[in-house]
Amino acid sequence: MRNRLFIACLLVLSAASVALATDFAVVVNPANPVRQLTLSELTRMFKAKTSSWPGGKGITIVLRDPNSPGTKFIIEKVLGGTLEEGKVVLSDPGRKATVPVVFAESDDEILRIVEGNPGAIGVIDVYNITSGVKVVKIDEKQPFDPGYALKGH
Amino acid sequence: MKIRSAFPLMAIAILISCTAAQAQEAAPQPASAPAQTTDQATSATTAAATAQPETIPVTTQSLIAKQAYEMGMVQSEDRLFLDEGLDFFRQAVKADPTFAMGHAAVGYFTPDPGEARREGLLAVKYIDNASPDEQLLIRFMNGRKNGDLVPAISAMNDLLAKYPYDKRLANMAGGWLCSGQGAYERGEEILVRLLKLDPRYFPAMNNLAYCYALSGQAQLAPPLMEQYAAALPNEPNPQDSYGEIMRILGDYPAALEHYQKALQINPKFNFSQLGIASTYALMGDEKLARAQYLVAMKGTKDHVTQLNYRMLWGLTYYRENQPRVARLEMTKIAAEAHSEGLAVQEAEIHRTMALFNPNPAAALKDLDAARAVLSESHKVLPGDWETESSSILQSRAFIAAGAGMVNAAQAALKPLSEMAATSRSNPVQNSYHSANGAVLFAKGEYAAAIPELQEDAQNPLSLRLLAKAQAKAGQSAEAQKTLATLAAISDERVETAFAAPQARAQLKNDTVQTAQRGAH
Repeated sequence: MRNRLFIACLLVLSAASVALATDFAVVVNPANPVRQLTLSELTRMFKAKTSSWPGGKGITIVLRDPNSPGTKFIIEKVLGGTLEEGKVVLSDPGRKATVPVVFAESDDEILRIVEGNPGAIGVIDVYNITSGVKVVKIDEKQPFDPGYALKGH
Repeated sequence: MKIRSAFPLMAIAILISCTAAQAQEAAPQPASAPAQTTDQATSATTAAATAQPETIPVTTQSLIAKQAYEMGMVQSEDRLFLDEGLDFFRQAVKADPTFAMGHAAVGYFTPDPGEARREGLLAVKYIDNASPDEQLLIRFMNGRKNGDLVPAISAMNDLLAKYPYDKRLANMAGGWLCSGQGAYERGEEILVRLLKLDPRYFPAMNNLAYCYALSGQAQLAPPLMEQYAAALPNEPNPQDSYGEIMRILGDYPAALEHYQKALQINPKFNFSQLGIASTYALMGDEKLARAQYLVAMKGTKDHVTQLNYRMLWGLTYYRENQPRVARLEMTKIAAEAHSEGLAVQEAEIHRTMALFNPNPAAALKDLDAARAVLSESHKVLPGDWETESSSILQSRAFIAAGAGMVNAAQAALKPLSEMAATSRSNPVQNSYHSANGAVLFAKGEYAAAIPELQEDAQNPLSLRLLAKAQAKAGQSAEAQKTLATLAAISDERVETAFAAPQARAQLKNDTVQTAQRGAH
């Protein structure tokens, strides 16, 4: 019976069951002093135009498989083009020396990499965040905020 | 319509049930009840000093409080006797007025908004008395309650990692993610992992079945419910949940059969009585539904719950197209809600009358009355106020837009837009987007209206307009699909009662016309 309440709640409080929006959290190592970024700054990192944090630590980007629906959305949103164009940018061999990109198999793996690397920045499903990482605001908004940039579908 | 007021009950069910015992077999006895019967001032803190316990310990200065809390959890969580559970939680905080988790439990389980507010504040006041992990749990609760979900989710995941064998915690987290947040992937992952850990942990079967039912994998749900019901043949909840699942799947006779089995097991399991009443209402037998709602009303002693049931009772008159009688009865129920100081319910009744009012100008006056009720009340929880306010404005935009009153629709959208700019609440966001969709529809901007209405795709009102927008935009196949989705919704909401029958009628009409064209 309890789940009657759950369902009722869902029906009233949430968006579509299948098409429910999912927010993606941008996470960094807790030692990283950065608390927020603009979407443009994130784009520059993804394009390897910014290669280090203000303190000088090199940036490493950690994402899920680019073909997964969530990462497809992130790549298109942050890089502004198609997925294929984004893959070309992120797979460019030349960026290994500047802003390497690591593709992880799961959000857990992204969490582990970011927890262990002070320069890493990852993007994960917000429902997987832990206190082992720090959620960075994007354009002064965090996941679930109205108008948050990385609200996917 | 009881749905919104039921949310706090759901929330606590997810959040606080991390006491020591798992009560896997839903035993009515506290699994970790101390032998002492007298309250002792000695610390009853259960935190294990050395080894990491499997479950989150509960901290209180009173053994009686601890015992009552555990009984509350058993009754509320494992047996779903909410009234009885609430009584135990109240006993717990009476025995130890500084028991933070006890206050949190009362605050979330009570349907009384005044008590919820008071107890929620007391939980925060005494949070320093709780262990760090309890504090995490309470912060998780509060974060969810006030919409601060990022730290809430972080706390939840930290607790799940720290207590990997806390089956109740995992089950509740998985249940919340699936059913409360629509985060099916994460919720399913937690529940599946839990069932691998303990394939006989039946409450997780229950939640996983709902997860499947809600995530478009409904065919996977009945086998789990079958297992769950077979495993606990003497408990009413499995049969009740089974009935609920079958109702979601639209199999009303099977739903009734399972609800009745639940009542045979325990005639006092009143949720099944409510399930029977609502199933008859959905089947169109409103007379029988009313009789069954009356039985359900007698089966609860809580006056707020009684009023919620009475609202469903009144709705049956609208369902059977007796608007005058319905309005008369709803007016009486609104007066009862007013005398009880239940502003959200009273506002919701006015909103219901507006939805079914055939005169748009008069309907907008009903909505004025709804807003007036909320503006004069000081006993409403902020979340409830926000949800109902946004629903009123949304209804206003829909009714005005439907009547071609574009200016009035835009006027409703403005305050809703202001709310949405600062609120993280899903209902507010959804209401805003769908109301914006309604305004765009009224302006003839159908293609632009579609994505806005899709943001609120669990709301029958939005689905109804979405189908129209899709049809107007030339997306006939999508429009039919939306209509079919709307027609298949089987729940008690007033919005469903209003919009779903229209969708069914339209689908039927479309089918007849298609057949006639084929015959010619």
